[in-house]
Amino acid sequence: MNVPTNKAPVAAATIMSSSVDEGYPTRMAPFGHKLVELARHRPEILGMSADLAKYTDIHIFAQAYPDRFYQMGMSEQLMATAAGGLAKEGFIPFATTYATFAARRCYDFISQGVAEQDANVKFIGGLPGLTTGYGPSHQATDDLAIFRAMPNLTVIDPCDAVDVEQMTEAVADHKGPVYMRILRGAVPVVLDEYNYRFQIGKAALLRGGRDVLVISTGFMTMRALDAAKDLQKDSVDVAVLHVPTLKPLDEVAIIREAQRPGRLVVVAENHSEIGGLGEAVAGSLMRAGVHPAGFRQIALPDAFLDAGSLPVLQDRYGISRRVMGDSIRRWL
Amino acid sequence: MSQTNRLHNSDLAERAYRVRRNALIMAEVQGQGYIAQALGVSDVLAVTYLHAMTHRPEQPEWEDRDRFLLSVGHYGIAHYAILTEAGYLPEEELVTYGMDDSRLPMSGMYHYTPGAEMSGGSIGLGLPMAVGMGLGLKRKENPAFVYAFMGDGELAEGPTWEAAISAAHYKLDNIIAIVDFNRIQADGPSMSVMSTEPLIEKFQAFGFHVQRVNGNDLPALVEAFDTARNHTGAQPRIIICDTKLGSGVDFLENREKSHFVRMDGDDWKRAHAALDAWRAA
Repeated sequence: MNVPTNKAPVAAATIMSSSVDEGYPTRMAPFGHKLVELARHRPEILGMSADLAKYTDIHIFAQAYPDRFYQMGMSEQLMATAAGGLAKEGFIPFATTYATFAARRCYDFISQGVAEQDANVKFIGGLPGLTTGYGPSHQATDDLAIFRAMPNLTVIDPCDAVDVEQMTEAVADHKGPVYMRILRGAVPVVLDEYNYRFQIGKAALLRGGRDVLVISTGFMTMRALDAAKDLQKDSVDVAVLHVPTLKPLDEVAIIREAQRPGRLVVVAENHSEIGGLGEAVAGSLMRAGVHPAGFRQIALPDAFLDAGSLPVLQDRYGISRRVMGDSIRRWL
Repeated sequence: MSQTNRLHNSDLAERAYRVRRNALIMAEVQGQGYIAQALGVSDVLAVTYLHAMTHRPEQPEWEDRDRFLLSVGHYGIAHYAILTEAGYLPEEELVTYGMDDSRLPMSGMYHYTPGAEMSGGSIGLGLPMAVGMGLGLKRKENPAFVYAFMGDGELAEGPTWEAAISAAHYKLDNIIAIVDFNRIQADGPSMSVMSTEPLIEKFQAFGFHVQRVNGNDLPALVEAFDTARNHTGAQPRIIICDTKLGSGVDFLENREKSHFVRMDGDDWKRAHAALDAWRAA
């Protein structure tokens, strides 16, 4: 699929990373550490994983509370349903696996074993979107589309370590099933300078701008803020609306911002162009009769993506800082 | 109050008849349904609810109750028949079975019916759910049992075996799995659709305490459930119940084996008469 090159082989570190852009400090395993902190005063919080504890940062919790962590082996369907059983007994299980396996393999078990029965389970999906170069088996390009279609499920996608930490607390407080993407390992700290507070179902306007409104979720909000700085140098004024909750969608904020006249609307997400934030926003605007100056999507293509190194792949598929900025310039 | 007065054989026979009668009343409302399975499993459910389980029908969410998980949702008709007999539901409600806005939907679901602990129907959820509840009960040091009721065709579902592995791994001696082995599933005879035999050896190899009994023999069922409850091994238990489809209604027992039965009005009257004759005999 790829054109052969004479470049040196890529290091493994560039195949699997948390996609930290230059210039940001990082925090290690924000999900795992936050869960440990919450669990100190909340004995009902439990951890589960299907042989991916080390790769979803819940090993931090497992080390702190070994008797409150259930290793379920490579049995994601079992884990999803057993989490429903634990919730029925009054516990709050945080069940982790990769986003691909949570979405594709466990769908029926989460739908019927958890969401339909309103079981208070928190599913945590690692390696969201294009955050691994391992190829389609590990690239969760469709999880948001899949989970958005599930009734009674809250769906969220964090931008950075601040988001991950605040979301972990918010979903523990929220009564009901949740699917939460996470960024793991060394996670960038982006939102601390924006007076930001995560709330389920609320979008946050991080910066204003006259020419372009980027509506973004997940780490594409970090890219949007970066691209906005780059475009500022060309006197292009970019607003960024961060939408960490895919469902329930903050249609009020989205419509309010999109109907301000004269701005190109660009929806950016680390996910397929099908079924994610882009189509959700488009549907909201159409239903509300809002017609912005233009509407574009920055998203992964409807394709099984290549294997390779992340910087190359994120350039190739248009979600890197540089290509995102180039795309917006071209559309203006 | 909890049920401490565990019923035994002679009382159970009458109650199992009444469970069958309840099922016939529901099936007649719809003119069709999974009546053959309901009749076949009536003895198993009578022993489960009226002999084995500790529960409070008037308080379905009593914390110390034994949990009963109906994995095979289409056995809703059988479940409502025993839930009525056990005192969870009024008899008058049986005629609403499968009707719009009824609490007795054709496939059993958690939010609809008092005493329904889970939504079944997507086959293969029962034993995995039991694993989670079994783990949760142990965390709470609650001595209740989780009864996970499955069909024989369900044993072809992968997650059932994922759950079996983990139930043994976590030494979940509070799980009592029940299999209605009636040898029929949607596409035909279970063992020709997909043979899961030899079942005893399979579950033993998976670490279970295994019993296999005639599921229409009340004394044998009572003994098997007592054995499962009193077994001291740190392992999950399973009771495989060989049941006779249509049990108690001779012409249903003898007709061509069918997963789903449709009959005309007169046939339902014949079925009630046949059941009464069976009871008298």
